[in-house]
Amino acid sequence: MPKETYHGPLEQVDACCYRIPKSYKPGMRVDGLIFANEKLIDAVKKDQAAEQVANVAFLPGIQHASLAMPDIHWGYGFCIGGVCATDPDEGGVISPGGVGYDINCGVRLMRSNLYYRDVKPHIRDLVESLFRNIPTGVGKSGRYEFRGKEIHQLLADGSRYLLSRGLAEQRDIDYTEAHGKLDGADPDQVSDHAKNRGAEQCGTLGSGNHFLEVQIVDAIFDADAAAVMGLEKDMVCVMIHSGSRGLGYQVCDDALHMLRKAPEKYGIELPDRQLACAPINSPEGVKYIAAMRAAANFAWCNRQLLMQQAREVFADMFGRKWQEMQMNLVYDVCHNIAKFEEHAIGGKTKKVWVHRKGATRAFPPEHPEIPPLYRKIGQPVIIPGDMGRASWVLVGQPGSMEKTFGTTCHGAGRAMSRTAALKDAIGRRIDKELEARGVIARAQSRKGLAEEQPKAYKNVDDVVEVVHNAGLSRKVARMRPIGVIKG
Amino acid sequence: MHETFEHTADLGLRIRAGDLEALFVEAAQCLFEAIVEDLSTVQPLRRVDIVLAKDEPDYLLFDWLKELLYHFDSEHLLFGRFEAHVTEQGLTGSAWGEVLDRSRHNLEHEVKAITYHGLKVEKTENEWLAEVIVDI
Repeated sequence: MPKETYHGPLEQVDACCYRIPKSYKPGMRVDGLIFANEKLIDAVKKDQAAEQVANVAFLPGIQHASLAMPDIHWGYGFCIGGVCATDPDEGGVISPGGVGYDINCGVRLMRSNLYYRDVKPHIRDLVESLFRNIPTGVGKSGRYEFRGKEIHQLLADGSRYLLSRGLAEQRDIDYTEAHGKLDGADPDQVSDHAKNRGAEQCGTLGSGNHFLEVQIVDAIFDADAAAVMGLEKDMVCVMIHSGSRGLGYQVCDDALHMLRKAPEKYGIELPDRQLACAPINSPEGVKYIAAMRAAANFAWCNRQLLMQQAREVFADMFGRKWQEMQMNLVYDVCHNIAKFEEHAIGGKTKKVWVHRKGATRAFPPEHPEIPPLYRKIGQPVIIPGDMGRASWVLVGQPGSMEKTFGTTCHGAGRAMSRTAALKDAIGRRIDKELEARGVIARAQSRKGLAEEQPKAYKNVDDVVEVVHNAGLSRKVARMRPIGVIKG
Repeated sequence: MHETFEHTADLGLRIRAGDLEALFVEAAQCLFEAIVEDLSTVQPLRRVDIVLAKDEPDYLLFDWLKELLYHFDSEHLLFGRFEAHVTEQGLTGSAWGEVLDRSRHNLEHEVKAITYHGLKVEKTENEWLAEVIVDI
């Protein structure tokens, strides 16, 4: 399946939204809606992502529309940036492809009381030390190992297990989505293969687009919300983007294997095998949900341990305890997940399974699932951009509940394929180019750095502009990277 | 013969061979070439045997690659040489390699998983063709 452009219909609904009518393909149960502006929609047409939005509309029990955020790009099965909600009472299905291999891939942001002027003279040493002390890249084991009863407990209890081991603080739990633990996780539904893959990987960054960045607050757009989060201009923060590592990939793999014959068994017609799914309350559906929740708990532990290691590096570098430097978690939010949530659909309140595949939950002010401190401003949303330009902090807005099942974008979205980015980087030194822009970057793989170069991504500012204007989430602060470590 | 092809976020592997067994061997090589910069740096010091029950050729190829990837991710075993025999009963195969040594092996991609998206194994007039998209 080589790269092809999309030739199907895309009707403009308003300045921030395009529709693929359900008449496009027989079998579509709802329309497709892509949140994008005129500038971004041209990029959408360049690959098969829009076709994938249409394909997701085939899923039984789908509500309202098959949605895509402005950072949409071609994935496998679901597009990246895809959102779909299914109702168990209407034959709704759960689809591992709608969560992705990297279950609970997500981002966390940690603030500090350091400012750019404090860190600037040490940035090279700091990045070097982070790179030396935090495992990154392919096949790297971490300094933590969880096997037997320990991995069982970790999968069942998520971040709370680390609290009991002295590897997390209560505050870390309070500011993690779902308090770092999804109820109903069943470690017995996670295969030994998956547990073996994860045993030495909790607290490791991984590769691909995952990163740990030292950032500074570059600009503030909502002073009140920024103050509530403890963010100030020029403040040094650490952003961590990683997921459930090999354990989550294997859980997804195992589920897709289990579901190979499920569409036939349940009479579900699908345009792509990667959309394999089963009714939510079927034995297969129940088994996957229990394993997926356990993998999500693993991912929160992974990001927690990455943050702990970063705190230790800072403490060592600046000769002060991390608590003294107020290196506190602002928020941790996932962008590859399926969650059972209450939403108003067609005038009724329903509980539906919201699949977010490369899309971030963005609950508006007063939502009960937001930590009390943030309840007035809305749920913090952390949007990682590329390593040369910017990342963003947003807050959820009421429009997200009305339009997107409480969801916004998750990143910049790729503009170039990996192969194209590599070709583009021939004869260039990406690390030197970044340095000239004021970013010190260290990566295990030269190719990895080339594939992840800033040009390979859309400008995250354009993506954020759309979700801001569409009322899905509001701009709070723009973050600028000064140090990056990658796999 | 094998090559990679464009996919926006991930990587496509395209493999051609005269028979199904050669296709499986080439596909495994193509996968590990995506993981390690130079496959010739991998010494055949350890052997792993893989046995798969009979299935459609595309699922068989998927499972073969998936098992090899599992050994890499859980035991850090890199493979550089492969054998595969496809019979009525399924597939029996072997892979030779060694534990990753970062001083000798430069790694390229973390392949998270083999995907079913666009998975294709087909026999044309005089050769077998496979396409697999792997998640990076």
